[in-house]
Amino acid sequence: MADQPVGPGATGQNVAGESPAEAPRTVTDEAIVHDDETELERTIGLVGGLAIGIGTMIGAGIFVFPGLAASTAGPAASLSFAIGGGIALLVALPTAELATAMPRSGGGYYFISRSLGTAAGAVVGLGLWLGLVFASAFYLVGLGHYATAVLAEVGIALGVDPVVAIGLLFGLALTALSIGGTENTATLQNYVVGILLVVLTVFLTYGVLDAFGAFSRQRTPEVFFSQGTFPVLTTAALVFTSYLGFAQVATVAGEIKEPSRNLPRAMIGSVLVVTVFYVVTIFVATSVFGADRLGAFGETAMVEVSREFLGLPGAVAILCAGLLATFSSANASILSASRAVYALSRDALLPRRASEVNLRFGTPHVALLAAGGPILVLVATGRVELLAEVASFLHLIMYSLICVALLVLRRRNPDWYTPSYRLPGYPAVPAVGALTSAGLIAFMQPASIVVGVVVMGLSYLWYRYYASNVTLQGVL
Amino acid sequence: MTDRPRILVPIRVLQGESIPEGVPELLANAHVVLLGYHVVPDQTATGQAKLQFEERANKRLEKYGSILEDAGATVERRLVFTHDGQKTLDRISDKDDCLAVLVPNGTRPPADVLVAVRGTASVSRIARVVAGLFSSTSVSVTLYHVTETNETDDDIQTFFDGVRSRLTALGMDPSAIDTQIDPEAKRLGAIAAAAEEYDALVMGESDPSLATFVFGMPGEQIADRFNGPVLVVQREPPNPESS
Repeated sequence: MADQPVGPGATGQNVAGESPAEAPRTVTDEAIVHDDETELERTIGLVGGLAIGIGTMIGAGIFVFPGLAASTAGPAASLSFAIGGGIALLVALPTAELATAMPRSGGGYYFISRSLGTAAGAVVGLGLWLGLVFASAFYLVGLGHYATAVLAEVGIALGVDPVVAIGLLFGLALTALSIGGTENTATLQNYVVGILLVVLTVFLTYGVLDAFGAFSRQRTPEVFFSQGTFPVLTTAALVFTSYLGFAQVATVAGEIKEPSRNLPRAMIGSVLVVTVFYVVTIFVATSVFGADRLGAFGETAMVEVSREFLGLPGAVAILCAGLLATFSSANASILSASRAVYALSRDALLPRRASEVNLRFGTPHVALLAAGGPILVLVATGRVELLAEVASFLHLIMYSLICVALLVLRRRNPDWYTPSYRLPGYPAVPAVGALTSAGLIAFMQPASIVVGVVVMGLSYLWYRYYASNVTLQGVL
Repeated sequence: MTDRPRILVPIRVLQGESIPEGVPELLANAHVVLLGYHVVPDQTATGQAKLQFEERANKRLEKYGSILEDAGATVERRLVFTHDGQKTLDRISDKDDCLAVLVPNGTRPPADVLVAVRGTASVSRIARVVAGLFSSTSVSVTLYHVTETNETDDDIQTFFDGVRSRLTALGMDPSAIDTQIDPEAKRLGAIAAAAEEYDALVMGESDPSLATFVFGMPGEQIADRFNGPVLVVQREPPNPESS
C-alpha cells in the first residue's frame, strides 16, 4: 500500500462564502485518507476502468458515425478515425501521467486547475461538464435513430419522425434511473461492454474476411481519397467525439484501485482498443457498400452492412448492439458530467448545494439534474453533427491544456508533483498533443466553433463573478 | 493478563445500524476497531457522500464508541465511504490486524458462548479471541465440533484437549470450558441449531474471504437461524508483516 502523491491544497472563498473542501492527508492504493481519519474506499479495478473508457467511446464511433463519415471523406474515413485515435493517444499519455500524480476525482479539470490556475480550471471544468452534456445529447439522438430503426424493422410506422422524441424519452429515463436507481450500475456496464466487444469482434472478423475476398462477393472498388484529402481532416474533427471516453476514466481517478498502475493502462488501453475497432469498422463498411451508398444510410448504416453479411439476424444483432452501445455511452457521460459538477462544487466553483446527495437514494440529484436538464434541451435540437462537434470542441480545449499542464509541471517540477508513471517522448509527445488537439478545432464547422467559444466565454464570466477569490493552483 | 483481542465491529452507520444490546458486555475485554461505513451508489462519488454525511456519521460513531468504552472495551474508530462494503471490511480487517469480525446481532449479557472449532489451523487465533474476551469474566464457553468423515471420538477428544490446554494457558478457568460433539451433519446448519441454546457464537472463517461469510450464503444461513452475535475469527493473514 504505497502512498501516492496527494496534489496541492486549495484556498479562498466564492461569492457564497464557501471554500474548497480540504485536501486529503494521504492517498494510498486502496483508499484516500483525510486528516480526520475518514477514508474513501477505492473500488474500481482495471476492468472497471477499461469498461468506463471503452463503454463511453464505442457507442459513437461504430454505431453513429460510419455513414456520416463515409459520406464526407469516402473510404479515407478510416484514416480520419486513425487520426482521431492518434491524437487521443497523444493526449491519453499525458493524462495518464497527470492522473498518477493527482489520482483525485475530477480528471482533466483537476489537473488544469492545480497547474494552470483557477481561471483556466474553471473554463475547462465548466466546459467539461457542458461538453459531456453535449456528448450525452449526441449519444441520445444516436439512440433515437437506432430505436427508430428497430420500430421500422418490426413494421411500426409512425406519422412523425420519432428520433427526437425517443431521445428525449431515454434522456428522461436515464436521468431518473441515475437519481433513483441503487442497483450496481458499474457491474452492469462491465457486462454491456463485454457483450458489445464480442458481437463486434464476430461481426468485424466476418467483415474483414469478406473484404479480402474469402467469400468471393462482388465488391465495389473505390479510390481511397474519393473526396480529396481535406475532408479527411474535417471528418476527423467530427468523429473525434468517438474518442472522448478515455478522459472519463480520469474523472473517477479517486475511486480507482492502484491508480499508478490501473489509470495509465485503462486510459491508453481503451484508446488503443477503440481505435482498432473504429478503423476496422470503417474499412469493412466502406468495402461492402462503397462510401456513397453507406453515406446514404445515415446514422444506422452499420445495420445495413450487417444485413448484407448475415441477413436479418445480423441486422437485429447490430440493432441491439447499437441500442446498448449508445445507451451505455449516454449513461456513462451523464454520470461523468455529474462527477464534473461535484468536482467543481467541491472546489467552490459551483455552489456546494450542487453536489448535494439525497437521503433517500444516496445519489447526487442536483448534479444529475444539472446534467440531465440541459441534455434534454440539446436532444430536442436533434442535430447530431453540431452536438458531436461542440462536445469535441470543449474536450479538445481541455486536452490541449492537459498537455500544456504537463509541460508546465515537468518544467517547474514542484515538490508535490511525483507521478509514478512518466510518459515516453517528453517534451515532443505533449507538445505535439497540445498542437494537434488545438489544431483539429480549425477543421470544425463554424457554427460548432461559435457555440464552443460562447460556452467558454460564459464559463470565464461565471468564474469572474462567482469564484475570482478561489485559489486552486499549487505552488509551482 | 492476555492481550486484548482486536475485534472488528462493522456498522452501517447511516442506515440505522447501531450497537445491539449485549454486544458491549460481550466485547468488554476487546480492543474494538469500530468501523462505521456507508455504501454509496455508483452514481455518487464517495467524496461527495463524505462532504455531506461525515459530520453526522462521526457523531453517531462517537456515541457508539462511548457505549463500548463504558462497558470496558478500548475503541478505535474508522469511518469509510465506499461503493463496496465487502472490500472495505476485508481491507480494514487486514490493515488493522483484526482477529475476528463481529456480525452484530442483539443478545442478553452473555453467560454461555458456543465456540465452533474445526481444523487445527485456526485454533490458535480462536483461542486468543475466546481467552482474551472471557478469561477474566464469568462467561462459560462450550467447545463444539461436528464429526467429519473418518474421525473417531478419540480424535476429537484429543483435539478438544489441545484447544482446552491452549485456553487455560491463556488464562481461562478449566471449569468454565465444556465440550459438545454432534454427529456428522451439514456443518453450518448444525452450528446454527446448536447455537440457539447460547448467547453468542464464535467460529472460524470458512471461506477465503471474510466478506463472503459475513454477507454471503453461510452468513445468511447462520443469521437466519441464530439471532445472536457471531464472532467470525479471521484466517491468519498470508503475510504476517502486512498489518
